[in-house]
Amino acid sequence: MYEFDYHKPVDVAGALETSGGSDDGLFLAGGQTIITVMKQRLAMPSDVIDLNAIDDLCGIRVKEDVISIGAMCRHADVASHSDVRRLIPGLADLAGKIGDPHVRNRGTLGGSIANNDPAADYPAAVVALGATVHTNLRDIAAGDFFTDLFETALKDSELIIRVTFPVPEKSAYEKILNPASRFAMVGVFVSQSVAGVRVAVTGAGPCVFQLPEMEDALMRSFSASALEKISINPGGLNSDLHGSAEYRAHLIGVAARRAVTNAC
Amino acid sequence: MEKSAIGKSVRRTEDFRFLTGQGKYIDDIRLENMAYAVVLRSSHAHATITAIDTAEAEAMEGVSLIVTAQHWMAEGYGTIPSKSATRNSIDGTPFREPPRHCLAIDRVRYVGEPVALVVAETLSAARQAMEMISVDYEPLDPVTDPVKALEHGAPQIWQDIPGNLCLDFELGDRDGTEKAFANADHVVSLDLVNNRVTAVPIEPRGAIADYDPETDRFVLYNATQNVHANRDTFAEKVLHIPVEKLHHIAPDVGGGFGAKNGAYPEPPLILHAARKLGRPVKWINDRAESFLSDTHGRAQSSRVKLALDKDGTFRALRVETIGDLGAFCATVGPFTCTGGSARTQGGPYAFPAMYYTSRAAFTNTAPTDPYRGAGRPEATYQVERIIEYAATTLGFDPIELRRKNLMSEKMLPLKTCMGLDIDCGNFPAVFEQTLELTDREGYAARVNASTAAGKRRGFAIAPYLECTGGAPREYAGVRFHADGSVHLAVGSQSTGMGHETALPQILAAQLGISQDRVQYIQADTEATPHGGGHGGSRGLELGGNAVGQSAGMVVDKAKAFAAAHLETEIDDLSFEDGLFRAQSTNRSMSMDEVISASFADDLPAGFEPGFLDTGSSFERGIISIPNGCHAAEVEVDPQTGDVRIDGYWVVDDFGTIINPMLADGQVMGGIVQGIGQALTENITYDNDSGQLLSGSLVDYALPRADMIPRMVIGYYEDAPTKKNPLGVKGAGEAGCVGAPPTIINAILDALRPDGVNHIEMPATPHRIWQQLRHAKSAA
Amino acid sequence: MPVVSLTVNNKPVSKDVAPNTLLVQFLRDELGLTGTHVGCDTSQCGACVIHLDGAPVKSCTLLAIQADQCAVTTIEGLAPEGGGLHPMQQAFREHHGLQCGFCTPGMVMTAVALARTTPHLAEADIRHGLEGNLCRCTGYQNIVDAVLAGSQAMRETK
Repeated sequence: MYEFDYHKPVDVAGALETSGGSDDGLFLAGGQTIITVMKQRLAMPSDVIDLNAIDDLCGIRVKEDVISIGAMCRHADVASHSDVRRLIPGLADLAGKIGDPHVRNRGTLGGSIANNDPAADYPAAVVALGATVHTNLRDIAAGDFFTDLFETALKDSELIIRVTFPVPEKSAYEKILNPASRFAMVGVFVSQSVAGVRVAVTGAGPCVFQLPEMEDALMRSFSASALEKISINPGGLNSDLHGSAEYRAHLIGVAARRAVTNAC
Repeated sequence: MEKSAIGKSVRRTEDFRFLTGQGKYIDDIRLENMAYAVVLRSSHAHATITAIDTAEAEAMEGVSLIVTAQHWMAEGYGTIPSKSATRNSIDGTPFREPPRHCLAIDRVRYVGEPVALVVAETLSAARQAMEMISVDYEPLDPVTDPVKALEHGAPQIWQDIPGNLCLDFELGDRDGTEKAFANADHVVSLDLVNNRVTAVPIEPRGAIADYDPETDRFVLYNATQNVHANRDTFAEKVLHIPVEKLHHIAPDVGGGFGAKNGAYPEPPLILHAARKLGRPVKWINDRAESFLSDTHGRAQSSRVKLALDKDGTFRALRVETIGDLGAFCATVGPFTCTGGSARTQGGPYAFPAMYYTSRAAFTNTAPTDPYRGAGRPEATYQVERIIEYAATTLGFDPIELRRKNLMSEKMLPLKTCMGLDIDCGNFPAVFEQTLELTDREGYAARVNASTAAGKRRGFAIAPYLECTGGAPREYAGVRFHADGSVHLAVGSQSTGMGHETALPQILAAQLGISQDRVQYIQADTEATPHGGGHGGSRGLELGGNAVGQSAGMVVDKAKAFAAAHLETEIDDLSFEDGLFRAQSTNRSMSMDEVISASFADDLPAGFEPGFLDTGSSFERGIISIPNGCHAAEVEVDPQTGDVRIDGYWVVDDFGTIINPMLADGQVMGGIVQGIGQALTENITYDNDSGQLLSGSLVDYALPRADMIPRMVIGYYEDAPTKKNPLGVKGAGEAGCVGAPPTIINAILDALRPDGVNHIEMPATPHRIWQQLRHAKSAA
Repeated sequence: MPVVSLTVNNKPVSKDVAPNTLLVQFLRDELGLTGTHVGCDTSQCGACVIHLDGAPVKSCTLLAIQADQCAVTTIEGLAPEGGGLHPMQQAFREHHGLQCGFCTPGMVMTAVALARTTPHLAEADIRHGLEGNLCRCTGYQNIVDAVLAGSQAMRETK
């Protein structure tokens, strides 16, 4: 790992000030991705700003029918939180399937979505639940947040504070694992609420995307059989050692149907 | 303390230190004034090196030494020889062996090949400096497929080796086989790939070299599985020094599976550096470097043919293989796909004729060497796949077809067409015993339940034949100390198999003393005059028998002493449970007492101090024939291609079982490695660039706990071998010999109703889905 | 250079540490606690698992400085003061849950945490709970048996 200066601010203002003053600073959340990248000498930040001491970024709160999850909430905490499990079981289930127990004890919601790895799990939930990403500067709707492979709408001076998830009527996440990395080969999050049905897919393309054709079909009839005839175009989907684009296109259908069947 | 006995599951001595973090692995060793080395490795699969500029790197802070090919060649160092037991092609000409220097000279031939060594005060300084070395490569076309490498027009990897062919090989009865095929009622043929895999011991390779200028002697601590043979290679062949000048020690080693057996280029590089700098130098791979530079395993493509009668009797087996050696002949190298894959051809089946041919090719990939099983998994895979294929295409019941053709006990002893001496075994009994474990009666109901849930269930049974190998000679030395301890030094080596417990168990049982007194020493060239290290499941067959032999000699000496002490003749004494008893007077003396008395100042005439200390060499006569049978049930999800193994059963014939718990451990570990090869593991090189695509655990999928079912293990102990005094047959590799065809045939059994009749390893969900889709569109 | 102050195996430690030092390097190189092992570079293998304030984490994916003010427990700190083995260590020995021993420290640390947080562990829970720990030697079955027995023993000695 290259050398860097280390900072551990106690509040958001401190974090932003340090970040603003550094040549090439980066925020350290759970570290499960960034520390590995730095170990492989693929990143050389001048400064590392550790967010793990900032209380304002923590906490899971329920208000009316919205769950607010702090950017620094660990996957393990989201997975085991009684309100999340009760109100958005798909989200708790997703968090419990990320990585492995050790990763879940450190990895965070904010870190995951800020990185926007194409095979990360959280982006599917954020999009399918119509969540809002609250930063120090503004509120970004899920649909505007994830822009491209490893890219988001976040500006350099912008820090995610929390993400708010409206509580749906039903939700589920079906993940088909990459056997080596245990990332999502394909992950489909389905949510049904008064606002409608959303189906979001991760792992299959360069960035999370929705499936309007499936959403329409499910709004007419929320059942796996409603999706039987829908086939996914493999164009633009990921193809690698572990699966072709055609295979991923096929898995999207399988995962979507299973998610709908299991939605609760 | 309780005296141990053969056949008991004695708990392991070594566990105390491993469980409390007190193990001493290579990365745990710190020497004073130690410097750190990293290896600059080729980023090209095939290229000429036109220039290396190390000036900037050398000027960096903390850098002590940089070694390039120019420096290396100026020292006059030698190359690492290949010790393949198959030495010649069919026409008698020697196998083509390219020079294996410790650094690439002028040309690189695989991604990961060492190009330079950088030594610095800290690991981080060494890595920083390594990044500043600039190498000018002129890329050449690589070839990564051994079949293509042998084709006309393929890139030439070695100037003097036309067509990239190292050697060709044949074994068996060519004419008999040809005749049998010509006259057979049925002939089936199948093309199979035994996929390239890598051992992935959780501990990467590493070593520390130290040099004492006053004595002109080296000490090499090395995560190796063979200290004696590699000492000889590094000293005599590479550094050109007498072997006595190199003290080679393996500390605790975190797994190896064959990948740590061979002679590698890094240790001589750091030995040179240690001498040049006059201080210890440490090198250790990270996992990415391991994937690039550990020798890989398997990597064979074969055409397999079976000739049968109308009634299913096997007439002949014909296997033609192309083996992938990688860019160099590694230590065993060409033997694996030639002699190593030929010996157990035909498995435990009665074949009137068999003929095996192979060609070993060079490719621009990492060198291949033995990986657990080393040729026998390949042979077992070939015969079991073709039998299953014959059964399903010709309409025979797969279980019946096997049962019908197994060699009966009455046929033994026999020598197979491949020259394998099968002395004993009861293959039909082992087969039936395995089948009985699998609850065949309940199978139909389980199939229905799977089908109702939208899944496919399949079953397969695969008997296997194994043979042992490795160095045929082993040494065991026993020394008694006044403090009551008994030091047992052996030349064989455990890297997790439990010899530290099993070998003292044998010694303690034979001497009739408490196992707690025995201190175990292995893997040190100064502890035993010679040693065969690890390999070919030789731990008990060689190490165990050497211990037994030396123990027997100690008992004889002790008996003589006891006779003198008890004032009787040696013939008058019985020895049982550690007690010498004079039949005539009923007076007795325990072994413990003899040992204590041997330290007395006034020894009787004819007994010198230390008279009990004994060392002896044991020679194996003929390799033994472990064998057994695997069976499995799988459930395939046709929607995703996912495979769940729902049952796994195995019965093994390992002869005498010294420590059942340790035997179970070897079987289960081997099975899971076999499952890994069958379902998830694959070393993949990009065909165009020769880059290693599966270069980390993010892409190379190792089995985890949640994909393994409960394995049921049984033993058949009614056919002990007389080939060695302990009656043991080697157990270490058997698990991964039997598992791959069992899993693949079970998957094919599950998918046959869908029209799938072939699949290659690894049978990943993606591949299974592709085969299902292919079958659907063909229908 | 910043200072990291923490307790390691119940003993206070305070040392200068370069920020780019991983926790596993700090434990092994600075404190000589070499029981925690490095087996990979992509956070898959789990040989480096330790407890950070009681939670099992991969020490290869944490900066040492991040453990400031925390309590770290390594494999060396598991056995009771005064000798003997922790019930989980004892169970691993009893059930032959280790062979080469290299993955073992991380495996045991994960197992202890799993046993503490999940009452009445069943085999499926254990196999799932070990998804972050790779073993190449044992085939996992004896490890599962060891964790079952160890968790039971831990409940009984509470």
